[in-house]
Amino acid sequence: MTRRRRCPGWVWFLAGLALTAAAAWFTGCDVGLLWARRDHLADILRRMFPPDWGYFARVWAPLWATVQMSVTGTALGSFLALLTAPLCAAGLGAVPAPVRHILRALVQVLRSFPALILALAATFLFGLGAFAGTAAITLYTFAIMTRLTYDDIDAAPDGAFTALTAMGAPPCRAFFAAVLPRIAPSYLANALYMLETNVRHSAILGYVGAGGVGLLLSEKLSWREYEKVGAILLALFLAVCLVESASACLTAIVTGRRKAGRGLRRAIIAASALLFLACTATVGPPDFAHASLRAVGNMLLGLVRPDWAFFFQGGTGGLGWLLLETAAIALAGTAVGAALSLPLALLGSGRLMPRGAAALFRLIPMAVRSVPFLVYGLVFIRATGPGAFTGVLTIAVCSVGLVTKRFTEAIDGMDMRAWDALAAMGVPALLRVRYALLPQLLPAFGSAVLYRFDVNLREASVLGMVGAGGIGAPLVFAMNRFQWPTAGAIAIGLVLMVWLVDLLSARLQKR
Amino acid sequence: MFLEVEGVSKSYDNGRVRALDGAGFAVAEGQFVSVIGPSGAGKTTLVRILNGSEQCDAGSVVLAGQRLDQARGRAKRSMQKRLGTIYQDFALVENVSALANVLTAAVPDMGFFPAALGLFGPDRRDRARRLLDRVGLADKADTPVQDLSGGQKQRVAIARALMRSPALLLADEPVASLDPVTGRQILELLKDIQRAEGLTVVMNSHNLDFARAFSDRLIGLNAGRVVYDGAADTPDEALTAVYAAAPEAAP
Ligand SMILES: Nc1ncnc2c1ncn2[C@@H]1O[C@H](COP(=O)(O)OP(=O)(O)O)[C@@H](O)[C@H]1O
Ligand SMILES: [Mg+2]
Repeated sequence: MTRRRRCPGWVWFLAGLALTAAAAWFTGCDVGLLWARRDHLADILRRMFPPDWGYFARVWAPLWATVQMSVTGTALGSFLALLTAPLCAAGLGAVPAPVRHILRALVQVLRSFPALILALAATFLFGLGAFAGTAAITLYTFAIMTRLTYDDIDAAPDGAFTALTAMGAPPCRAFFAAVLPRIAPSYLANALYMLETNVRHSAILGYVGAGGVGLLLSEKLSWREYEKVGAILLALFLAVCLVESASACLTAIVTGRRKAGRGLRRAIIAASALLFLACTATVGPPDFAHASLRAVGNMLLGLVRPDWAFFFQGGTGGLGWLLLETAAIALAGTAVGAALSLPLALLGSGRLMPRGAAALFRLIPMAVRSVPFLVYGLVFIRATGPGAFTGVLTIAVCSVGLVTKRFTEAIDGMDMRAWDALAAMGVPALLRVRYALLPQLLPAFGSAVLYRFDVNLREASVLGMVGAGGIGAPLVFAMNRFQWPTAGAIAIGLVLMVWLVDLLSARLQKR
Repeated sequence: MFLEVEGVSKSYDNGRVRALDGAGFAVAEGQFVSVIGPSGAGKTTLVRILNGSEQCDAGSVVLAGQRLDQARGRAKRSMQKRLGTIYQDFALVENVSALANVLTAAVPDMGFFPAALGLFGPDRRDRARRLLDRVGLADKADTPVQDLSGGQKQRVAIARALMRSPALLLADEPVASLDPVTGRQILELLKDIQRAEGLTVVMNSHNLDFARAFSDRLIGLNAGRVVYDGAADTPDEALTAVYAAAPEAAP
């Protein structure tokens, strides 16, 4: 029996480790420096607590704008995605294949941009304020939701749809009757998840003038009024907790894990509609005073006619170098974040810890997650100075929330029967971990880390905005100076990088 | 006797639940014995004590002249190496291949580092493949267990147990989660293997028909006590004590 031997898992593991080490070296990771400056960080934290309670009163209005942008943006973006996804799905044949490929490519392009960059672009069209932020969140949600939804449609069995169209039902009707009910739970769950992340995303949009609590945050941080920063962060934490618990509850209902009667369902739908209307009706109108068709035209022209000289420029100032730095920040940051997440996940698992303690430990990643990532950048920069290392630290800390959550879920979901069976055959404990637990955990850990890496790639590409390295600084600089060909070149570079990483992670996911 | 169980008791929840209450019997080498009894009689607890997963409170378990119940650590593991167990819910690692599951049974015979790195070597791999062939799954060796049917999963579990070349094969309701037709096929396979290899089998079953059809001898358990021990082809009346409501269970 001769068979092709597959490369064993640990070879991949070592390769990943080597790549991560290279990324850490490239970004100048220096734990000694962090340790030497730990007082700076401790000092900032000490000044945030206790927060300036009196300042709370000033926080509510921008906080509401933040929630408003995320609710409206998520709802509109998800709705538009539901209309677009069927056109992108291969199985339905709603549009000819070339059109479908173009649509998919456009969605992929849109998906490459962080919400903050979309918001910055939106401020050029709609002026400063919450309208631009809402538009950015809508676009951002639309891109991600379209992708998730057409993946779901493609994955759903198409027998019923084919049967209905074969009987002469119009494709649209068949879609509503056969496909929509199948994808609805996962669509709604995804939309709720987007709502959670969008609250955090919209909290930083103010940084580029797109409304919400971000403007206040960056202002107070730069004036070093940390007591006020503490107040804003606490308010944000409460808002995030509220949204997350509401969304967790709704997710349980839409995925059928929790039963809800007809009355309750109606009440939830009515309340959601009311919330959406309240949020949408009060979004400030756009301010077209500074926008002109010419400006929009120039912007698009930049994308079509980018600065190829800059695109192909080598050396440390070139686009390739900056993108490499961005990817290295994302990689090293994701790795450090995953390493931090593992002990937190073990502590937060109800399997290993008493229930009360586990619940307490679960608050840590939740609190870490509620702070917008640029805030970490602004805080770390006070300790480690501008540069890629600050970017790595930022990415690492903001990965902790999501990765810990996924790790904890995987640990809680472990099936211990094989563990018992191996014990009964006399397999020692460490090897039981190797053979009964790791096979269950590693795929879940791997996909959590890959997913987070994908997100981090985008976050790393705006870190430059606060001086934490990567492609962000030149991009924002170019946009603010209306250097659209340069911005276009960078945008194309970003799209290519995200696309490449997507392909890679799809390959890895298959393993 | 090959396996001697004497006065084994086990209680849970600080003595509030008596799962086994002085159960005792002996099994000769090469016998196929079925332990029957209603749900909650203590069958699973008995198997868990026989394979060392659980410690009994009192009594003794002697396997081939050695005390299993008093062994600890390495000595206990070296006794456990001579046992194979199959379970009602298969207890396989679902997201790895059938072959990988069978190979896990080779781990106790290997040094730490080869085992940790998964270096099983061609001999063990060939043996695992032959065993999968023996249980009729030659073409499913590389299929993840989660893609197999219930009957196929139990076949993998049998191959895993056989990989240990066990002196004693324990089976805890091996067909209770399968449909009757598949269940009968699995038991026929088990019986086949038992005859061919001269295996000693102790099988739990709440299905009296299956127990009768496949075993040499029945042991009836009720409320943790052995209330019947004898031939498999006994008339139903002889087994009334086995299925009588336990005094504790009466409302
Ligand atoms: N781990 C446990 N903790 C508490 N009670 C248990 C445990 N395992 C078994 N029992 C109790 O012991 C009794 C016998 O259980 P079991 O051996 O599973 O019976 P059977 O397998 O014959 O159905 C039952 O009353 C059961 O509730
Ligand atoms: Mg049982």
